[in-house]
This record gives sequence, C-alpha cells and structure tokens, in this order.
Amino acid sequence: MDAQVQLRISGLSSYYGVWRRTPISFRVGAVILAIHIVAAATGPFWAPYGLAQMGAGMPLSGMSWAHPFGLDQMGRDVFSRVLHGGHIVIIMALSGTMLGAVLGSIVGLLSGYLGGWFDDVVMRIAEALISIPFLILGMLVISMAGSELAGQPVLVIFVVGFIYLPRFARMARAAALDVITRDFVMVARLRGEDPWSVVRRELLPNATGVLLVEFALRAGTAPVLIASLGFLGFGLRPPTPEWGVLIAENRPLIVVAPETVLGPGFVLASLVIGLNLWTEGLARILGRTARTNDQ
Amino acid sequence: MTALRLIAGRFGLAFVTLFIVSIIIFAMVEILPGDVASRILGQLATAENLEVLRAQLQLNDPAPKRYLNWLVGIFQGDLGNTLTNQRPVTEMLGPRLKNTAILSLVAFALYLPLALIPAAIQALNRDTVKDHALSILTLIILSTPDFLLGTILLFGFVVVIPILPAQSLVDHTSSFLEYARAIALPATTLALVMAFYAVRMLRDNLIEVLDAEYIRTAELNGLSRRSVLWRHALPNALIPTLNVTALNFSYLIGGVVIVEKVFSFPGFGRLLIDALLLRDIPLIEITILIAAAVYIAANLAADVISIVLNPRLRSS
Repeated sequence: MDAQVQLRISGLSSYYGVWRRTPISFRVGAVILAIHIVAAATGPFWAPYGLAQMGAGMPLSGMSWAHPFGLDQMGRDVFSRVLHGGHIVIIMALSGTMLGAVLGSIVGLLSGYLGGWFDDVVMRIAEALISIPFLILGMLVISMAGSELAGQPVLVIFVVGFIYLPRFARMARAAALDVITRDFVMVARLRGEDPWSVVRRELLPNATGVLLVEFALRAGTAPVLIASLGFLGFGLRPPTPEWGVLIAENRPLIVVAPETVLGPGFVLASLVIGLNLWTEGLARILGRTARTNDQ
Repeated sequence: MTALRLIAGRFGLAFVTLFIVSIIIFAMVEILPGDVASRILGQLATAENLEVLRAQLQLNDPAPKRYLNWLVGIFQGDLGNTLTNQRPVTEMLGPRLKNTAILSLVAFALYLPLALIPAAIQALNRDTVKDHALSILTLIILSTPDFLLGTILLFGFVVVIPILPAQSLVDHTSSFLEYARAIALPATTLALVMAFYAVRMLRDNLIEVLDAEYIRTAELNGLSRRSVLWRHALPNALIPTLNVTALNFSYLIGGVVIVEKVFSFPGFGRLLIDALLLRDIPLIEITILIAAAVYIAANLAADVISIVLNPRLRSS
C-alpha cells in the first residue's frame, strides 16, 4: 500500500479511535443531533410542500407515505411544515443562548473580579431574576414588550438571552472566584492591566470549560423554552412552523388526526433526547480532561 | 448553633431576594420605556381611552410612590381591581389558588410512588435489562417537554381510552368525583415530570445504601430482600432525596402554568397566562410575585433541609 494512503487511513482510524473512546451517550447524542442539523439545514430544499402550502392533499386524511405526519384541516402537509421549522428552532435556540452566554459571562467575570458592592448588587439582582420561574419571566418580558414586537423572532431570541443571562453570570462568577487568587491574575493586576483586559486575557480562558458545559446545557433546554412559549401563544405566530406553535395549532385536531400533533411532538422530543445525551457525554469528557490536566 | 445561624441567614437572604423581585416586577411592568397605557391598549387606542386608563392605574403619580402604594396594598390585602372585569384581584385569586393548591397536593401524592417504585426496581435489579430499560424510559420522559407529555396523556386517556374529560373545567359547584376526574390528568403530568427528575438520584442512593454494612447484617440475619429494602434501606436513601423534592416544588410553580393551559384547568397558572395575554397590570404583578415567592420558599426549604441534614453542622 502506498505510504500516503496508509497515513490517511491511520489518520482516519485515530479519529475513529477517539470517537470510540467517548462515552456512549455522547456518541448516540451526536448521531441524533447530526441528523437533526442536516435535516434542519437541508429540509427547506427537499420538503415536498411549502411551509404554509394549502391543498397538499385531502385535509385530515391521516398518515400515509406521502404525508407521514398527515395533513391539517387546511390540507397543509405537517411533515413538510416540521422540516421548514427545524432551522428556526435551532437558530433561535443557539443565538438566544449565545446572547445570554456572552453577556452573562462578561457580567459574571467582571463581578467576580471587581468584588465589593458591585459584586453584591449584581449577584442579588441575578438571584432575584433566577427566582422568577424562567417560563413566567419570559412571558412577562414578551407581554410587556407590547404588541408591535410580539411574535418577532428577535424578541424571542432576546428573551432566551435575558433568561439565561443571570444563570451564566452566576457560573462565570464562580469560575472567576476560582482562579482570582492565582499568581498570574495577581501579576496581571500588578502590571496595571485594566479589569476588562484581566477578565478577557486571564479569567475567561480559565472559565471556558465550565462555560462550555453550561452553554451546551442551556442550548439544550432552549428549544423546549422556545417551543413552550410558542405553545402558550407568547412565541412566534402562526403560520410560522416553529414546533411549539405547530403543536399548539394542531392540538384541536388531536381527536380526528392525532398524527398531526404526535408527529411534530416526536421530532421535538427526539431533538431534546439527542441534546440531553450529547450534553451528558460532553460534561463527562470535559470533566475527565479537566481532572487529568490537574494531575 | 452554626446551623441555626446559617438558617437565619438563609431566611434573611430569601426576604431580600423577594424584595428585589418585587422591584424588578414593578420596574418591568410600569417603568419600562414607553407609555404603559398605550402598551396595554395597543396602537388603536384613542387619547380619551388612554387618559381613563392612566387615571385608573394612577399613572400620573411618580413611580416610587406607586411602588410604595402597591407594597402597602399587598400587606393590607388590598390589591385593587383587575382591569378587564373590574373585580377585586383578591376575589379572582382566591379560588384559583385553591384549585392549584389541590392540584399540587395530588401531584405530590402521586409523585412519591411514581419515583419510589421505578427506583426500587432499578436498585434491586442493578445493571440488568430492567434497570437499563427504566433508565431509557427516564431519559425519554425527562426529554419530553411537559406540554407535549400532557398532550400525549390527553390523547391516551381521552381519545384512545375515553375515561377522562378533555377539559378539566371545575368550579365551586363541582362534585368531588368531577373534581377528581378533572384533576387526574394534570396531576399525573406534573407528578411524572417530578418523579423522573428524582428517580435517577433515588436509584443511586438506594444502591449506595444497599451496599452498606448494616444492610448486609440485616440480610445475614435472614430478613427477606423486600423487608430489607422497605424497612432499612429506603428510609436512609430517602433523606438525600428530600432536597430534590423541595427543588421539585420550585419546578411545580412553572409547571402548573403549562399543565393548566393544556388541560384548561381553572387554576393560578391559567390566571397568570390570561393576565399576561390581556396585559391586566394589577393581576400580572401579584401573580408573578406569588410565583416567585413560592419558588424562593421552595429553594429556602431545600437549603434548610440540607443544612439540617449535614451532620457536621448539626453536631457543632
């Protein structure tokens, strides 16, 4: 065998070896997530019907190969609508979580580094925000944003970020307190670096592991949060095929056409199962590497 | 003494947090940029309507004064009238809170066996097919959003096996049986979510206890596997789970919002959603404050339990 080919194979097999050594939950989760991401990215291009295209078939005619999740009362193909909704769910979940992670990390790291009254005030407010059950806090913000913003994806993304902000801040602050007494932070402070640069160059790199797991965890619950808001009528508006909205729209049909509710429900639940497995595996991997680094 | 001081500290912090929550709620509802009255009425409101609403909400007073009035009102039990039907807020809240309290109690009663039985089966059949099957079931139920779980239960017990009503509508004229039938599904949904949240921890605790020396002694004394489990292992495994149970209570206050909506149950959660959808300011403020207070109380209970159960703090 040609040396180059052999090299390539051994490169591949070492990747395969790493993959084999990851926890089983991580692998199963990654496969489920990969299917979801591919379906979300490509779905709108190969979905048999449009996202709100009526007359795709006989309304409420049940499950068939042509319509795996059936048709709603307007004759819209539910499977196509689910495919058109995938990227909405994933993009909103990721960008909302990202917003909360970035702002929350800045607030938390600064708060931990500066300490004093600033820290006290910030943490009391964060604690108070966490004390309002997150779904209720989200509904409050959406309700108070007024009717012009209602139903806008930007508002939902902002709400997800706002809900996660204090939670990230708390994690980041704890991580900051963990490293703040180390020599390199002291040296940076004595060098006369301003707080912002200490936070960015000394604290942030050391908090990355914790924040990454937190990010995975929150990004995993964000689809449920967004779908719950949509289900309750506080999220996006019909006919946007976000899955929570879709399930709420089809719920009155559960007696005559249960597949129009259970189909999207199965897809949403499988996404969350994938996310949960993957996050659990990731936490285990990062926990393990963090421990080996310490030794 | 350390434990007592710690507990007193937790109580103090809880009150401070609740106080800050009240400021946040008030600020979000009444001081957010933009005019409150036009936000409630929307763009089509006439100047006249806006003026009437402003007068009713006393929006012409400065914000700190309105906040103080609101706080004083809470302590005096006078919460003003709702905007939508002009009835006293307290009168609206009473029956709704009662319904939700009953719902929560039933959910908790169902929660205990639903958590205990799978955990006991798993611990006794550790690493067997049964154990893994239940672990997968736990994962699936935990991954199913509660509105979906409720909808699936609704499908099962209303459509497939039609024994329960689709809408859990009850009022003060309902008989006990009607109440029981109305509450069955929402309570089961809540109980399932809470139970499977606790199952994994309970299983691990049980396994740990079953491996302990005193359990081996009991077994060697000839006690049956079952009596060892129920009489000796379970009480010891339950104690650490108390913490989870208290935290589950804090889930409940958010959970009822969804579950009451799914089953059209006339409780506190529905009132909260309706208030927010109709932008009924007095009702919004008090319902969210109550939700936060319950959440804070549940977390306080969890904290106190773990302090009391910590032997290092107890002995000193």
